[in-house]
Amino acid sequence: MADRLRDIQAITDAALSRLGDQELLTELLERTRAVLQADTAAVLLLDYASGHLIATAAAGLEEEVHQGVRIPVGRGFAGRIAAEHKPVILDRVDHSTVLNPILLSKGIRALMGVPLIAGGKVIGVLHVGSLTQRQFTGEELELLELAADRAASALASLLAREDRVAAEALQRSLLPSALPAEVSADVAVRYVPGAGKVGGDWYDVFCMPSGQLWVVIGDVTGSGLPAAVIMGRMRSALRAYALETADPADVLARLDRKMQHFEPGALATVLCAVFEPDLNRVRMCSAGHFPPVIASPGCAAEVAEIPSGLLIGVTRDARRQTATLDIAPGSLFCFYTDGLIERRGQVIDQGLTRLCQVVTPGPAEAACAAVMAALVGSEAAADDIAVLMLQCPPAEPKP
Amino acid sequence: MPAEIDVTNADEIREVLRVAVSRAPALLIIDMSATTFCDSAGVQAIIDAYNLVAARNRSAATPTQLRLVVSAVRRIITLVGIDQLIPVYSTVEAALADAPAGT
Repeated sequence: MADRLRDIQAITDAALSRLGDQELLTELLERTRAVLQADTAAVLLLDYASGHLIATAAAGLEEEVHQGVRIPVGRGFAGRIAAEHKPVILDRVDHSTVLNPILLSKGIRALMGVPLIAGGKVIGVLHVGSLTQRQFTGEELELLELAADRAASALASLLAREDRVAAEALQRSLLPSALPAEVSADVAVRYVPGAGKVGGDWYDVFCMPSGQLWVVIGDVTGSGLPAAVIMGRMRSALRAYALETADPADVLARLDRKMQHFEPGALATVLCAVFEPDLNRVRMCSAGHFPPVIASPGCAAEVAEIPSGLLIGVTRDARRQTATLDIAPGSLFCFYTDGLIERRGQVIDQGLTRLCQVVTPGPAEAACAAVMAALVGSEAAADDIAVLMLQCPPAEPKP
Repeated sequence: MPAEIDVTNADEIREVLRVAVSRAPALLIIDMSATTFCDSAGVQAIIDAYNLVAARNRSAATPTQLRLVVSAVRRIITLVGIDQLIPVYSTVEAALADAPAGT
């Protein structure tokens, strides 16, 4: 009895909480192996994209981690635990029960494993193994489940942090590089992650060899690292298609085909605007994205009237139309994502009206600041927000 | 459909629509007339329902007709082009009264 209490304490020890998540995991595996008098303890994490369990941390059988062992969910010992969300105890280890070649070749004779569950979902598997024949008991299973509980919460916070850091780094890496000096437009941008979490919003500005200036703004549905990764792929694919064809509708049709084939299930809205080198005309095509607000000198700002097209990722036969607009000298274009104008408890038209009221021609930086102050104010946004302002040069003074 | 559809209830709505499609009705009307806010998560739930219906109709003997009723969220539905996929109406009565597509 005293032994069992000591064992439980070893695993639930409050001192573990003072460790970082990674150290906690290592120490927890060591302690689990010791209290269960096992020879190995290992954690496999579920990779949602591939449906594989990947060896992530181990005590006693580190080569599992070093060799990057992968087990498909549903197959083998660990795969069965993840698929059935239930513990499994094996007292016979051979090819019929175990897939992992390292467990087999090292001579593991008995195994006990439990699912790692966080937020109601299986995130991986924790298992212990013995080099000698033994039958793991119900009491030992309870101890392992206690350890799994601890490990799951440490892993969940570790994963969430890694995802956030990676998504933020990705977002930062995608900010457009400095515009070429020959561009006479004044451009300013804002990107604000929603609810402290980056998402799939992006913007892009680049020049073509023809001198045409491309502005792209888009929003991948979803948030966090998965959305940021898809956004990065869309951004570079779109640049590549822009080199192939100068028609924004054609570029979006190609991008749509690419997305449906390589990222099935992903949805995104994208708007492409192609400005003539002297900024007197723009051709635009929208795939489900809000049209820009255009403010010309002496006129009230208006939402650009361009045909709406189906968002990217649904069907191959979406109609894509390019609209051509003449630009009055000195006009300001405000491109944005839905996070800027969508608010709960408000119809979208209210947000658009408010945006039109605050967009006025002037330096792009100041226009960005004014729009963010008016529409975001002091409240943190729930959704991420991307804004790109482009101010066209004023009319040449008559000689 | 509820007054507001966003990331907090989109999964729930996706499930309601999945169950509705699985019953293989001849006509399925998504009534969003009381919906005043629908963000991209809501749009995704509707597109998912469209994809389910399209997948079922490819093999089903009696296809399902999907229709959408909107009021305050018409702008967003039109903007993302859902009206190019699913016939959109202003009232459930109009959606019911309209002759089946293709007749």
